[in-house]
Amino acid sequence: MGKELPSYTDAEFVAAIRRGDDRALAQLYRVHLPMILHLVQQNSGTEDEAKDVYQEGVMVFYEKVRDGSLELSCQIKTYLYAVCRRLWLKRLAEKNRFGGSLSDHEPYLETGAEQDLLDAQERDRQFGLMGEALERIGEPCRSLLEGFYLLDKSMQELTTEFGYTNADNAKNQKYKCLVRLKKLFFTQYQEEESF
Amino acid sequence: MKTEADYYALFEAYRAGELAAPARQELEHRLAADPSLAQQLTDFDRLSGTLHGYGERLRTRRKLQAIQATLDAETAAEETYETGNPLMPAVHISGVERTLREFWGSHRATIAVAASVAIMAVFGTLLGIEWWKAAQKPAPTYGYTMLRREVERIKRTQRAMNRAITQIDGPKTEEVSPGKFSGTGFALSPNGYLVTSYHVIQGADSLLVESRTHEHFHAEPVFTDVARDLAILRINDKDFHGFGRLPYSFKRTTADLGERVYTLGYPREDLVFNDGSLSARSGFEGDTGFYQISIPVNPGNSGGPVLDERGNLIGIVSGKQSDVQSAAFATKSSYLTRLVDSLQTAAVAHDITLPRTNLLTGTSRPQQIRKLQNYVFVVKVYE
Repeated sequence: MGKELPSYTDAEFVAAIRRGDDRALAQLYRVHLPMILHLVQQNSGTEDEAKDVYQEGVMVFYEKVRDGSLELSCQIKTYLYAVCRRLWLKRLAEKNRFGGSLSDHEPYLETGAEQDLLDAQERDRQFGLMGEALERIGEPCRSLLEGFYLLDKSMQELTTEFGYTNADNAKNQKYKCLVRLKKLFFTQYQEEESF
Repeated sequence: MKTEADYYALFEAYRAGELAAPARQELEHRLAADPSLAQQLTDFDRLSGTLHGYGERLRTRRKLQAIQATLDAETAAEETYETGNPLMPAVHISGVERTLREFWGSHRATIAVAASVAIMAVFGTLLGIEWWKAAQKPAPTYGYTMLRREVERIKRTQRAMNRAITQIDGPKTEEVSPGKFSGTGFALSPNGYLVTSYHVIQGADSLLVESRTHEHFHAEPVFTDVARDLAILRINDKDFHGFGRLPYSFKRTTADLGERVYTLGYPREDLVFNDGSLSARSGFEGDTGFYQISIPVNPGNSGGPVLDERGNLIGIVSGKQSDVQSAAFATKSSYLTRLVDSLQTAAVAHDITLPRTNLLTGTSRPQQIRKLQNYVFVVKVYE
């Protein structure tokens, strides 16, 4: 990473990140990190906790941007602050210290962070279930699906890796695995729902 | 009959847009007709969507962690650089220092605010005291509010005039530095007590008394009366051996109107004589502590003695009114004698013996002045 870092406006950040520009993401991350470090450390958190919260916050922002569903009505800074503030509040409440209150100023802008966070939590839950389902599906389905969906490998690569005679075989295997995964996933999903 | 897996292959191709037009139309047709198939497609979409999202999430997390790692590495590099010693890569911070740093880190804003408040309080208090002191001038007790503005204006001019009187910028006298302000003073008792005006020595750090023959003595204020504009000084110099017998006496009663009076003073580097009459038995704004005298006085005359024809000291020059012709003011000697009496009986008694006999009576004025001039001094004020 060079010393001459490009500077972006908020709009440029959003555009660049939507394009998948990792340098913009890194720059965004770098710019706003001190703010959240300060926020968390001022409110009885450690540096590591701050980084955790910040990564989660940036993740929410990033996914919204990639989604194209971000409706930014304020600065990115404010948005990130609001998201991370919420997240840290939640963590504090979990830690059950200080009754989950922060001594700072609450962003008075309508950031939309609240709703985005709820969405993100719902996604988190689904991803958690998916992770569990993948754990339970067993080999070789797990490796195959992870390879294809999570590690972004091509069918061709997987064919050689798993020793299938041709890509069609691998594909067939993958579809069978998907069907099994679906059963696992949705039964789990329904179990959770019925709680 | 197709298995579910086959359908999935079909769905994937459909979503990827790889189906040929007839196959796609057929599928769409079936989807519209068969709700269970449509449900299967929905499930497939959700499943693959979640999987893709999950993959994306994991990749993003790795990306962010990589960024954080880079940042951490950079900070670590910077911290090492800060030690200025490449051989010592890590800074060892003791537990106490760490605690202190954390304390500073989390409370520095509060500390800064507290410090500024303290500074502002200190300066505010100092300024307030200054201002209060300035406002503590004897306030006229006029009931008429209509007069007030005028009175305030006159008071201001009076203050300005008082300042002007003290701020003599006389030419340099010999080798002695001229001091910041100077006025006139005269002997009160043979053992080294002097009288001058309070405003002459106001704010003084050190006082120097200089006689007509350029003898210098250090003096210190013994007592001041702001309201009457009086200050009593005492010479505390080792070389000082007393004034000798004072030729004048102090009048204890009020002098008569029309009395011919004169004064000696140092408005310049030389002793200056001026005379006139006693014009009124009250001073500026009817202040009964003062006489009004028609002697032309100048800056530097302050603290000078006012004597009548017979050589009785009747007053001490204090100031003049700039917007009235030839109206100077002098503190009445009766206040001075009363002050001296009270000082003699004070807890820390001062041995001030006022002269009782008057050696000037009956002599001509030049003769009076010749005797008098050795007892009139320049009071130099250093701030």
